[in-house]
Amino acid sequence: MRFFRLFAVFVRVGVMSELAYRGNFFVQLFESLLELGTALAGLAVIFAHTTSLGGWRPDEVLALVGVYFLMGGAIRLIIQPSMQQLVEGVHDGTLDFTLTKPEDAQLLVSISRVEIWKLTDFVLGFGVLVAALARMGERVGWGQAGAFALTLLAGGAIVYSFWLILATFSFWFVRVENMLEIFQSMYEAGRWPVSLYPGWLRFFLTFLIPVAFATTVPAQALAGRLTWQTLAESLGLAVVMLVVSRLFWRVGIRRYSGASA
Amino acid sequence: MRDLPQIYAQQFKTSLAMMLQYRASLVIWLIAHVLEPLIFLVVWSAVSRSSGGSVGGYSPGDFAAYFIVLMLVNHVTYTWVMYEYEYEVRHGTLSFALLKPLHPIHSNIADNVSSKLITLPGMAVVAVILALIFRPVFHLQLWALAAFIPALFLAFLVRFLMEWMLALAAFWTTRVSAVNQVYFVVALFLSGQLAPIALLPLPVRVAAFILPFRWTVGFPVELFLGKLTPMQALTGIAVQLVWLGLSLLLMRVVWRAGLRIYSAVGA
Amino acid sequence: MSTLPAITVSKLSKTYIVPVREAGVKAALGSLFHRRKEEIKAVDGISFNLAPGEIVGFLGPNGAGKTTTLKMLSGLLHPTAGEVAVLGHVPWKREKAFLRQITLVMGQRNQLVWDIPAADTFELNRAIFRIPQADFRRTLDELSELLELGPLLRKPVRNLSLGERMKCEIAAALLHRPQVVFLDEPTIGLDVLMQRRIRSFILEYNRRYGATILLTSHYMADVEAMARRVIVIHRGKLLFDGELADLVRRFTAHKTIVVQLGDCLADLKAYGEVVSCEDGRTTLRVPKAETARVTERLLADLPVIDLTVEDPPIEEVIERVFTQGSA
Repeated sequence: MRFFRLFAVFVRVGVMSELAYRGNFFVQLFESLLELGTALAGLAVIFAHTTSLGGWRPDEVLALVGVYFLMGGAIRLIIQPSMQQLVEGVHDGTLDFTLTKPEDAQLLVSISRVEIWKLTDFVLGFGVLVAALARMGERVGWGQAGAFALTLLAGGAIVYSFWLILATFSFWFVRVENMLEIFQSMYEAGRWPVSLYPGWLRFFLTFLIPVAFATTVPAQALAGRLTWQTLAESLGLAVVMLVVSRLFWRVGIRRYSGASA
Repeated sequence: MRDLPQIYAQQFKTSLAMMLQYRASLVIWLIAHVLEPLIFLVVWSAVSRSSGGSVGGYSPGDFAAYFIVLMLVNHVTYTWVMYEYEYEVRHGTLSFALLKPLHPIHSNIADNVSSKLITLPGMAVVAVILALIFRPVFHLQLWALAAFIPALFLAFLVRFLMEWMLALAAFWTTRVSAVNQVYFVVALFLSGQLAPIALLPLPVRVAAFILPFRWTVGFPVELFLGKLTPMQALTGIAVQLVWLGLSLLLMRVVWRAGLRIYSAVGA
Repeated sequence: MSTLPAITVSKLSKTYIVPVREAGVKAALGSLFHRRKEEIKAVDGISFNLAPGEIVGFLGPNGAGKTTTLKMLSGLLHPTAGEVAVLGHVPWKREKAFLRQITLVMGQRNQLVWDIPAADTFELNRAIFRIPQADFRRTLDELSELLELGPLLRKPVRNLSLGERMKCEIAAALLHRPQVVFLDEPTIGLDVLMQRRIRSFILEYNRRYGATILLTSHYMADVEAMARRVIVIHRGKLLFDGELADLVRRFTAHKTIVVQLGDCLADLKAYGEVVSCEDGRTTLRVPKAETARVTERLLADLPVIDLTVEDPPIEEVIERVFTQGSA
């Protein structure tokens, strides 16, 4: 499909851009390992004092950490760099180049920058997931695996749409970079099951800054804790947000090109 | 040296004006400083609830008290110099500061303090709101509160000097982010930000005593909450003073070495 | 080749509404309650047509409306009023068929990816424009030859000089053989040699492929070298549309006569305005109508070693055009 062809080309550009800086790979690997080690050590400290965290077992929380790194890796690999480049493009006018290409502009800006070394987060997260799965063993059936894949994709779609909406604000406001940084802080909360947080914070982390759907929900699916309701909410929200972000993007482009509303 | 108070007054005014311009970044720091302890507050409260109401002598109310006070102390003592120096070395703009007849550390301090004047009111409001939500339990003691003031001041100084020296790593490497990360990870565990140090395994507790991290954040917090005996408090302040002395000596050495490298490369 | 125009522009206008505020605290507070707005007519009712294969130079000072016009023609901006058709398409609809046939080169901005060789950005464009491999190879070879790209393609873009980068930028923009080429200040910041190379490339490209080329510039030399037809824009209004020679003819009231005498002792005030005299080389400004008569008299009255009649420098002409407003 067209998308995959273009995606492959942009990945290639990203790889080539980074290959000149081979040292970056080792630095990135070091940083990713350190971050993962910290998360696991934190888990160890917590579970030295308890056997269950808000009803979650250690291997289930481990799976959550795996999803956190997997999703975080995907975000830092493509979503974050591309959206940051979009904001820069709006400011310095290089977005004009994208708009004169015969390809859907949203598609082009969404994959415009690939930071290839962030793949380490993705791979490490995957590794942790596998380890968690091994511990959960026979408790994970095909149904759960399927639900996991679905909610993971839905979570990714939700996070992407959210970033796109934030970046689209740059057509109106100058200081959007700050908004993007706030997401970073919020995402940290995704390392722990969202059910732990008090109601108001849970609402915030689910519907305002969609961290819950990115990390907790897929982990719930894997752990067999997913209700049909949550699954439906996840898929539904993904569709809604993809549509809303697309519409908002179109409004933003019209604004950028001075079309009368 | 005699002119220092006047210089500081002037520097302070400049810093204040500049920090007001950087409101947005300060807000981001504020959010990050609220979220992290908040997350751990929630997590540890859950742990203590599932362990029959208390973990290591901490009930949910104790955890609430701990992390709210930690949030404030962390915000009072934090710095961002390591990012600043990385930027300035990379872009060569440090040269401007070096041409002035004043050590750049003074403007760093002024920036730091003035920024907190702007953000602390907001932080205080957040602390009150969090207190209303999470109902912290305080066991305050008057002498401890009195000792808290100098402890906090010393903690600020030690942490500032430590992180300032960390910032100088920018002279030696471009991989500052990796260096910073190691620092922050160690600080996370040893300064009591992940959990009250009492809850950490023994080897970690020992390391926390020997290394300066606990004395920059964790110690003032424990003191405020009345978790220490007068003897422990005195020992703590003594250790802080030792670290302060060491840092003051070390910073000169590191600064001079760093400058040599910086000017060798071509400022 | 079709005789239908490649580009038709009819009464095109673009008005911006900008908030206006004076300095000072009182004004700042006042603006909280009542926002004063000002209408800025960046482009004000211009009309022109371009035949296929024409090269046209848009000339005008900064802020004249050149770039705004270009952006409306390439579909980046919606006009406030008027109509545009480029190759039969309405540009701001941004139909894919339209976008495949145009290209935009901006002198002050790069589309090349910074850290990688230009060749890799070319591959990216190849994928985006869906250029078949054989066509791509052929076009790239031709462009390489014309622009003398050779070894440049394998160097990371950040290691190229400004001129080398510009050549690669232009190549990247032409890989899909667009029929309409928009160039926004393509030679800005380049050294004289590179400017000349790029100008001759554009001429050659137009000759070979018959692309319609529209370029904006505030360098007179660009327009002189590349475009026979010139459109002068000032304050959003079209002041002149025609051949460069006509522009000079219409807007010059004077001619310059350069007389070479033995020395500067003679007083030539009676013949015309003396601009300068150096080693006997006297420059005179005379009204256009008087040129023949003054020349005759000079040759008759004085021991003239050499005499030339020149147009005033084109910059001067353009300045006159701008200060005069609409002709």
